[in-house]
Amino acid sequence: MIRRFGNILTAPFRFASGMVSQTFRNVATAFVQLWANKGRAILTTVGIIIAVSSTITVVAFVGGFGKQMTEMVQGYGTQFMMVQAYAPSSDKRRGTRRVRLDIADIEAVRIDCPSIRRITPFVYTPNGEITFGNEKADEIPVRGVTEDYQTIRNFHADVGRFFGPVDVEAAAPVMVLGRTVMKRLGADETIVGEQVYLDDNRFLVIGLLEEKGGNMGEDQDLTVMIPYTAAIKAYPNLRDSIPFLAEATTPEATHQAAAEITHVLRTRHGLKPGQRDDFRISRQDQMVKEFENIRNIASGMLAGIVSISLIVGGIGIMNVMLVSVTERTREIGLRKSIGGRRRDIMLQFLTEAVVLCVIGGSIGVALGYFATYIASLHPQMIEIEVPLWAVAMALVSSAGAGVVFGIIPAFKAAILHPIEALRHE
Amino acid sequence: MIASNESKGSSLIELVDLTKIYRVGTEIVNALRGVSLTIRENEYVAIMGPSGSGKSTMMNILGCLDVPTSGKYVLRGQDVSTLSQSRLARIRGRQIGFVFQTFELLPRTTALKNVELPLMYAQVSRKKQRAMAALKRVGLEDRATHRPNQLSGGQKQRVAIARALAQTPDIILADEPTGNLDSKTGEEIMAIFDSLHAEGQTIIVVTHEEEIAARCRRVIRLHDGMIASDETISPVSAPAPRERVTTP
Repeated sequence: MIRRFGNILTAPFRFASGMVSQTFRNVATAFVQLWANKGRAILTTVGIIIAVSSTITVVAFVGGFGKQMTEMVQGYGTQFMMVQAYAPSSDKRRGTRRVRLDIADIEAVRIDCPSIRRITPFVYTPNGEITFGNEKADEIPVRGVTEDYQTIRNFHADVGRFFGPVDVEAAAPVMVLGRTVMKRLGADETIVGEQVYLDDNRFLVIGLLEEKGGNMGEDQDLTVMIPYTAAIKAYPNLRDSIPFLAEATTPEATHQAAAEITHVLRTRHGLKPGQRDDFRISRQDQMVKEFENIRNIASGMLAGIVSISLIVGGIGIMNVMLVSVTERTREIGLRKSIGGRRRDIMLQFLTEAVVLCVIGGSIGVALGYFATYIASLHPQMIEIEVPLWAVAMALVSSAGAGVVFGIIPAFKAAILHPIEALRHE
Repeated sequence: MIASNESKGSSLIELVDLTKIYRVGTEIVNALRGVSLTIRENEYVAIMGPSGSGKSTMMNILGCLDVPTSGKYVLRGQDVSTLSQSRLARIRGRQIGFVFQTFELLPRTTALKNVELPLMYAQVSRKKQRAMAALKRVGLEDRATHRPNQLSGGQKQRVAIARALAQTPDIILADEPTGNLDSKTGEEIMAIFDSLHAEGQTIIVVTHEEEIAARCRRVIRLHDGMIASDETISPVSAPAPRERVTTP
């Protein structure tokens, strides 16, 4: 009598501590069980491992690129924009106008746009060929600019000098080399003062650009710079359409500056209201937005791939749990005969599935870290880092897969009839 | 509660007109057809019968693993013939201790943990001490950390008995407990049952071996789902032959 009364008093406490100890015991049982079938357990979790490790790796990469992008924006400033001639498709079809952006346009922008601090033409060809003695370097990006480009894009010569206004005015055949080009020509710093040929035009090397390293997978030292006037001389076909870079006075003035450029160019090109612009302004801040869009699309696709592989992995888990339930039918019968209720059995097998999935998830996280570490060893690799939220999400979603795909086997175990289970051979 | 007080010292199990009908495919099997029976506390009962006599069905119902088709099963004052699966599991865990022919110990699990298992499901405190005490009663306290594959058959069955004892059940229900053991080891196991009985434990043994049944105090024989005989055996110390006084 007294004993029973005491039982009632301590029941809530016993219930709570019982739940904890039962969960603990279930996890311990799961480990014992999985350890007994190590090989099978590992093979089963391969799906989960692949899903999680690839997620971790891709998330780290996307995050790394995003960080790089932000740093780039901070480096250039958001007040930086590029203007190119651009034919709206409807005009192109009619073929009435020639797309043009010339030096006079650029001069007008320089004079009439108060929100612009600096401006430089930007004549660009991606595959110049440079000859120095017997050495040749091809597919060299050539940039024809003015001295302002140094400040806008933060390129400076640390050996020799950058060209000045006089060189630009005179279309002087002078050239500043990036360090990678110097190396490709098999030269060292003594190349300053030497003659080289850029696609059959003789140039004098007057300086070397300071080393900048890679950015977004692009080698920034793989370039040469010449006065844009000299570039036009060397490549006359670029004369009709000269893009330019402009820098607004402040980041806040960027929008105003773009409006001013639009106004000046539309007036000069005689565009009527309703006609589309025949040029395009690419703004740094818009590029960041575009990149973010791409990143969101990539994340969405990634989520899709991850859910598919989690489903595939989860089906593997379900399969092996079904096998396990069949193999352990007698054990289930015994557990029921000594007081195990349906939900006790259910919880036990569900715990086992979750433990299996979380182990797979953990191995996947470890592999993901390993993959990003290996990738980061590459010298031109951007800085990548596995975000903690991705690790947490990976573990939570693999546990979730364990619950979802463990339910059916666990239920199957729970509803077994104790007598039939005990009789099972 | 009241019922249990009333039943104290009297009937522990009461079966009233119990029947069990199985359906195997289209065939209907009358496994039990009207069994009425009373078992009091501290009885030591053997249930015997040829295969098909219904003794397995009887054991399953007595052990609350199955419910009768009709009739009543009252265990310590509580009618258990209509309880839900989960209540039945609870009764199995707290009031019934099973001992199986094939031991049914969990592999890769120590003797102690095996004995603790029913205590875990019953969510009681001091599991380890209770399990240890149960192991001590079967004389295996020094094998607590051994796994089943490190134990002999007799030792395994003793662990199984300890597991049945752990929850201090109302009944120990043993299904052919010596069936997988040699006769000497079987003898040892039966000696344990004897001493548990001497300590007041109610024991029901399902067996087809006459030597085993002979150790019990009561033998119930089933035939075709009905009780064929129910005899109470006199205590082991056979009464001295009474000499008939004859008058010359």
